[in-house]
Amino acid sequence: MNEEKEDSTYEVPIGPIHPALKEPFLIKFKLDGEEVVGADPHPGMNHRGIEFMGMHRNPMKVIPLSERICGICSIVHQHMYTTAAEHAVGIEPTNRARYIRAIMCELERIHSHVLWAGVAAHEIGFDTHLHFTWKIREEVMDLLEYITGNRVNYSMWTIGGVRRDITEDMHPKIFETLEYYEDLYEKLEEIFLNDPSIKMRTKDIGILTEEDALSLCGVGPTVRASGVKKDVRIDQPYSAYGDLDMDYVVPSRYGYEDKGDVFSKTLVRLKEVLQSISIIKQCVEKMPEGEITSEDNKAGLLNKLKNMGGEGIGRIEAPRGEAIHYVRLKEGEEDIDVWKVRASTYNNLATYGPMFMGEQIADIPIIAASIDPCIGCMDRAEITDVNTGETRTYSEEELHELSVQKTEELVDGGIE
Amino acid sequence: MNQNLPISVDQIEEHFKEELGDAVSDIKKEEIEKGLKETPIKLIWMKVERDQFRDAVEALSELQVPHLSVASGSDMGDIVELIYHFQVNHGFPADEISVNIKVHLPKDDLKIPTITDIVPGAVTTEREKQEFLGVDVVDIPDSRRLWLDEEFPEDRYPWRWDEKGMEEMARYVHDPEEASAEPTSERVGEKRGGEEG
Repeated sequence: MNEEKEDSTYEVPIGPIHPALKEPFLIKFKLDGEEVVGADPHPGMNHRGIEFMGMHRNPMKVIPLSERICGICSIVHQHMYTTAAEHAVGIEPTNRARYIRAIMCELERIHSHVLWAGVAAHEIGFDTHLHFTWKIREEVMDLLEYITGNRVNYSMWTIGGVRRDITEDMHPKIFETLEYYEDLYEKLEEIFLNDPSIKMRTKDIGILTEEDALSLCGVGPTVRASGVKKDVRIDQPYSAYGDLDMDYVVPSRYGYEDKGDVFSKTLVRLKEVLQSISIIKQCVEKMPEGEITSEDNKAGLLNKLKNMGGEGIGRIEAPRGEAIHYVRLKEGEEDIDVWKVRASTYNNLATYGPMFMGEQIADIPIIAASIDPCIGCMDRAEITDVNTGETRTYSEEELHELSVQKTEELVDGGIE
Repeated sequence: MNQNLPISVDQIEEHFKEELGDAVSDIKKEEIEKGLKETPIKLIWMKVERDQFRDAVEALSELQVPHLSVASGSDMGDIVELIYHFQVNHGFPADEISVNIKVHLPKDDLKIPTITDIVPGAVTTEREKQEFLGVDVVDIPDSRRLWLDEEFPEDRYPWRWDEKGMEEMARYVHDPEEASAEPTSERVGEKRGGEEG
């Protein structure tokens, strides 16, 4: 019996290019019929050696470089890098800069979570929702452009503070955007949390238990959905977060079960959009007067960084979870000595193992998307029969079709 | 031990000294203040001998399921330094402490025991240290490459600055002098030809 079971195992590589993944990425699945019995992620398809590049540049040149690690969370990496460099040489950003940084981070979180909701809806065949969420995401991107001048890669950070101020005449536009999201929020919740057919596709699948979440060192909404209270903004407040009123977003806080399935992850991300709105409001209200950077003289700053050694850590809560940069500067050396970058998906990779186990092939796209991996587009999947060596290739459309078909079947059979 | 949480930086220091004795050294405690309310970020750095490194991680796991953020590493000439960035006290507002454990490995014996049996989530970062620094993680459950391309040479490690590094493979296009120079390696030449064609 056992032998027969082993015989029926298939291997299915998904990636390196796939629409559920925002970057090239490969996951090799072991299947027993329709059931997933193993998942082995293979990252590195897009490894650009950015840390190596950084270690051959001076600390000021790394600021724009760090921003280009990711297109969606460019703020995150700039924030961590500058914080780590500030920590290394003992520079304090001004208080006004701390508030502006927090506002920017939260705007990016809204942008990232709304974008994710669209991707998740697409994965299970609700393209209307994809277009709806991506349409409303434009508002926050417009606001980011209004504040920084850029839609992506905002060039906002510098060592010691920020490069552009958020002045009082910008407040009406900020509040207008926040109101826009508040007005729409109920509709978002109606779509993603109350729609029976979406619930059928997201409830009880891709479960990550609290125990696994802790032992695998998972981060962000992925583990908060399992009831793990990990949020750097609260645990170890950076920027202005220590001054603000906020709490861990876990499903049990809203009367749901801390289940760790795709539904819980959706819930946590949506609630975090509301939380971000509240944080931005608090920041705008409490923002102190003063300079936006403590280091006005760029040449002097570079000289200071060159002549002072030290090591520092920048650790923040990115939209996808905790991320960390480690920077070491050597006295008298112009280039950075050590730069280690660790993004959220790096830690969440390990959580794929238990989440895929025992799930169906048609659920692969939505579970893969549920950790909000920084990987973009699943192009095709190859299914190999281990015994005969026969290879069957599923195109992106076919796999997507399978997922959509499952939704249709559920809708036809389960609800009116 | 969970009922004793959150623990303070001093308690962590004491706990490590008690459990490890002389094997732990260079303890540095830091508090960085943030924001108007001046909520501090608490960090502790320490150096642990390699032979006692696993004991140190075990001592930490007695307190709380430790969160390993990442292990960073660097080539420092005669030694390779690894820093394991752990966090304890998560779930307690403003009480989380970063515990950074440094381990020095001599270049002629680049070995460190795995900690995946204590912290299963460490496997990603341990695999990365193997391929980027040439550190041999003893008993690692999965020793395959993670990030680097299959074609990348076996005995080259991107974060090493000695003869095993990849300095001669790299070309610095941001350096005007070097960017305008003729390409040195075959691979670069091929790529260039392709682009022009």
